[in-house]
Amino acid sequence: MKLSMKKRHIAEGYAFISIWIVGFFLFMAVPLGRSLYYTFNELKPTKDGLAATFVGLRNYRQAFTTDIHFVPLLTDTMKDLIVNVPLILIFAMFSAILLNRQSFGKTFFRGVFFLPVIIASGIALRKLLQQGAARLPIFNDWNLYQQLRAFIPGDLLEPLLEYADSLTLVMWDSGVQILIFLAALQTISPALYEAAKMDGATGWEIFWKITFPMLIPIVFVNTLFTIVNSFTNPDNGIMNHLLHTVFVSNNYAYGSTIGWLYFIFIFMVLGIVFLAFRRRMAY
Amino acid sequence: MNMPAMRSVQTAVQKKLTVDRRFLYMRRTRSIAENTFYYLLLFTLSFVFVYPLLYMISQSLMRPSDIADATIRWIPKSFELNNYAEAFKSINYFNGLINSAWISLGSAVLQIISCSFIGYGFARYQFPGKGLWMALLIFTFLVPPTTIVVPLYIFYSDLGWINTLFPFIFPSAMGFGLKGALFVLIFIQFYRGLPKVMEEAARIDGAGAFRTYWTIMFPLAKPAMIVVFLFSVVWHWNDVFQPNMYLLIPDYFNLAQNLATFHGNANADSLQQLGQQVQQSDMLGSAPTLMNQIMAAVMLTILPILILYLFVQRAFVQGIERSGIAGE
Repeated sequence: MKLSMKKRHIAEGYAFISIWIVGFFLFMAVPLGRSLYYTFNELKPTKDGLAATFVGLRNYRQAFTTDIHFVPLLTDTMKDLIVNVPLILIFAMFSAILLNRQSFGKTFFRGVFFLPVIIASGIALRKLLQQGAARLPIFNDWNLYQQLRAFIPGDLLEPLLEYADSLTLVMWDSGVQILIFLAALQTISPALYEAAKMDGATGWEIFWKITFPMLIPIVFVNTLFTIVNSFTNPDNGIMNHLLHTVFVSNNYAYGSTIGWLYFIFIFMVLGIVFLAFRRRMAY
Repeated sequence: MNMPAMRSVQTAVQKKLTVDRRFLYMRRTRSIAENTFYYLLLFTLSFVFVYPLLYMISQSLMRPSDIADATIRWIPKSFELNNYAEAFKSINYFNGLINSAWISLGSAVLQIISCSFIGYGFARYQFPGKGLWMALLIFTFLVPPTTIVVPLYIFYSDLGWINTLFPFIFPSAMGFGLKGALFVLIFIQFYRGLPKVMEEAARIDGAGAFRTYWTIMFPLAKPAMIVVFLFSVVWHWNDVFQPNMYLLIPDYFNLAQNLATFHGNANADSLQQLGQQVQQSDMLGSAPTLMNQIMAAVMLTILPILILYLFVQRAFVQGIERSGIAGE
């Protein structure tokens, strides 16, 4: 069979991504459709597998009325997100700029800063946190609370210290983001910096006029990554609630409903982020 | 040129030179101060990252009595390797190690092969519907795994794949599995950054599309491969979400699962110390577990990937820079 150049090109392209397309239907589209179907049904395990009976929107109603855990968990997740995402981004950008400087021991420091990528995913970190290993000793050792109490009113101090304590966690969560920022910094042409220096720009000006604007698309990428990462983190309250519903209470239909509501919620958040950045990136 | 004019030029040059020298001197002192600050900052931040590791090593070598002893902060009185021995037995180390290795290495290798293949197709070919498939690829990355947990579990159990490695292997071989979409995106970015000259030369010499890819482009993707390999191995290694769904028999548990269920082994010797231990833990607000053994268990669990990281670290960092993860 003879094909024209163009048709052959198209066929080859599809040949390369064909395994992904098959995978997409097997592991994404069909499961997603099935789980959406489950949300409108009640599933009862029988001899021949699961039997579904149509119940309409009952599962959705349950999530917002009977289930006392779902809505609070969702708002908690949202609160954590609003606090942590900006902190992670600022810290990651700051670290990446530090690491990008040509200096002695560059490789060593980079190795150390990427250490969280190795350790901070999953169960090892959780165990460390349970044992109080991931928080810095200064908060307990120097009795910081009592010391500062003399200067700052307690109502203000407590959330402040809590915030400072969660900073170490933020640092631990920003490994991949540092990495992405660092890779982006490498792509900024040195000629731009040279020109700026020739014209007498200070480091501060250079950051705001060159580095930061060049990094904005990557800030977007990192925001997406951070949000997705924290939403899909198995330590997350909603994830645990869902797994409990499915594997302990064996309520498959309601579990799927939580999953879908969560998914819709994530998409709304990502949509807001996307709109916010589209306006900024237009400049 | 007459003499006086010459002289004036000379003095001007000299003046310029002294000014330059003074300027340089100023700059040097400033840069010393700057550098001190810079390294101080780097060391402080590095300390935060290394601290848990040091803490873990130190704690894992202590006896319970050392923890209660206020004079001991970092260096224990005697190195207590017994913690490791206990942890080794309790988390069923060898079994878990082998299971973890199969899951991590198997998935990582398959993901490299499949994601690179798919990424190349997306990066180099223009075909109708490409935009749609790209959008679906990003969509795949955004869907939380919990949303499709139930149908996938039913699907795999219908196939009889529960308690086998197939739920890890098959998705990985098709560019899915843990964070598969992200890996495809990394390869797309990498292949986009490569020049087309070599492929064109190969095509003109009569190599087919797959041969060109396999013999020329795939070997060039080493920097991206190292990045994907390390991410994939590490994320699979630490993952308990998927194994908890698909591996239900303790003999098939991977290391992370064993670690998650381990809360310290109270043997006769350490039971005596437990009284003090409880007080200690109440202060920390955690359950009265045998912290030293748990620390030893965590250490044992992450040791293989730490060693792996030591070896590939340099290549990994360079790979990040060269793979153009961040390139648009």
